[in-house]
Amino acid sequence: MIDIQSLSFTYKDEEHPALRDVTLTVPDGGFLGIIGPAGAGKTTLVRAVSGVIPHHYRGDFYGSVSVDGMDTVDTPLTDLSRAVGMVFQDVDSQIVSTEVEDEILYGLENFGVPHSEIPERLDFALERVGIADLRGRSIASLSGGQRQKVAIASVIALRPKILVLDEPTGELDPVSSRQVFSLLSSLRKDFGITVIVVEQKIMLLCEFADRLAVMDQGAVVRQGATRDVLAGADELEALGVNCPRVTTLSQLLSKRLGRSMPVCVNLDEAETMARGLMA
Amino acid sequence: MKDLFRYVPGRSVIHRMNPVTKLLLTVVICVAAFITGNIFVLLGLLAADLAIGFIAGVPGKTLNILKGLMKIAIFLFVLQTLLYRDGTPLFWIITDKGLLTAATVVLRLVVVCMPLTLVLAVTRVSDLANALVQVLHVPYKYAFTVTTAIRFIPQFLEEMSDIMEAQTARGVAFDKARGLRKLGMILPLCAPLLITSVRRTELTAVAVEVRGFALRTPASGYRRYPFGLIDAAAMIVCAGMIVAAVMIR
Repeated sequence: MIDIQSLSFTYKDEEHPALRDVTLTVPDGGFLGIIGPAGAGKTTLVRAVSGVIPHHYRGDFYGSVSVDGMDTVDTPLTDLSRAVGMVFQDVDSQIVSTEVEDEILYGLENFGVPHSEIPERLDFALERVGIADLRGRSIASLSGGQRQKVAIASVIALRPKILVLDEPTGELDPVSSRQVFSLLSSLRKDFGITVIVVEQKIMLLCEFADRLAVMDQGAVVRQGATRDVLAGADELEALGVNCPRVTTLSQLLSKRLGRSMPVCVNLDEAETMARGLMA
Repeated sequence: MKDLFRYVPGRSVIHRMNPVTKLLLTVVICVAAFITGNIFVLLGLLAADLAIGFIAGVPGKTLNILKGLMKIAIFLFVLQTLLYRDGTPLFWIITDKGLLTAATVVLRLVVVCMPLTLVLAVTRVSDLANALVQVLHVPYKYAFTVTTAIRFIPQFLEEMSDIMEAQTARGVAFDKARGLRKLGMILPLCAPLLITSVRRTELTAVAVEVRGFALRTPASGYRRYPFGLIDAAAMIVCAGMIVAAVMIR
């Protein structure tokens, strides 16, 4: 479980806090989507979950973050990393090898995964992410999207209990973005891992995340079950977060028709609603 | 430059050689070139360089390096013949000893410059680093520093061209300037390049830390680098080169 209590954080030499009084819990096996405008503190929040804050980035840290029973301030970063796998926003900086296979080996070797187990882990990661054909390629020859998949595979190979991803689909096309989210969803089902994703593509979050946290100016302004958060579509639009068009439509209809309509989060629900109205 | 350290995959004898042996081979060629002053031995070492390139299946690259070295070689040759004052004059201020010394110096330069680039072209940097850690017990931190530096080269070049494109889009005419003027235009780009590089290094440090950098030991490496028959053969070649260089000075 991830338990964040009244967390405030100000980067060293910065005037304004990057996080203000954030309280957030994610149960084991949960899938939390974090959304919000640029500069809202999303990256800072996932850094705090992975322990990179306060171990690497210094600053004023108030409150507490507990990950899988470990307090992030008291536990060394390497121990935290055994439980939490992190995919960073800047993929190029994250990659340490010149070859795809070596990149996935890197973490496995370091964390002392028995050598007999390594081939299976390699195959598992490459196949789950769908890049088995890139295995022998050099990183320099890959596109941005392919590199992103390699970065995800290298973390999945470690089989962490908690997976934290900062805009993992930033360089991906719509089809690959969906693949990444289905992958996260299947890993969660098969291994019961907890997933936290910072993502701008709200449609994907609506479909796959069971909880949403909306951030603005360092604070979590709304959080809860995905559908409940989307019910406040007007508020989200005001923050600059685009809601799925079906959600906007159902909200607009309920206003125009003057009666409460169910909140639609996907096309099927919208179709059911439309059919219901026409009947 | 972009392709300088790019790995060329293959299954040649040189590819299959232990990375440490390959490194030994380059070191031996360099050492032999400095021990000997004999022009024929140097020519033999040059032949060895070319043989490495051709056996490894990178003849194009080999000739390219040779071509690249030509300009410096010719410059150095002319300078040496003009400045060397010993020996019998052949014509004008050129002496026989001057020509010989110039040829030796130039050959030595070419022989020494070639093998490392060639060997790196057919060795994966990670293999080199892992083998150095496993076989020679080089501390992993140093091996990592070297591999990261090599890995960053193409990235920096990419970034440099990104910055230049961004400037071109805003009216800086890089393509029209030549020589010193062009240098004057490129120098200010070093500041943004340096800033992004430092930031990138910082992010890389975090990324390796969360993937267990601190836990790595010489035994961590998954791939093993045993010495085989090819390596034994290469060592004999190495010994031969050293003996030849010592015997025929």
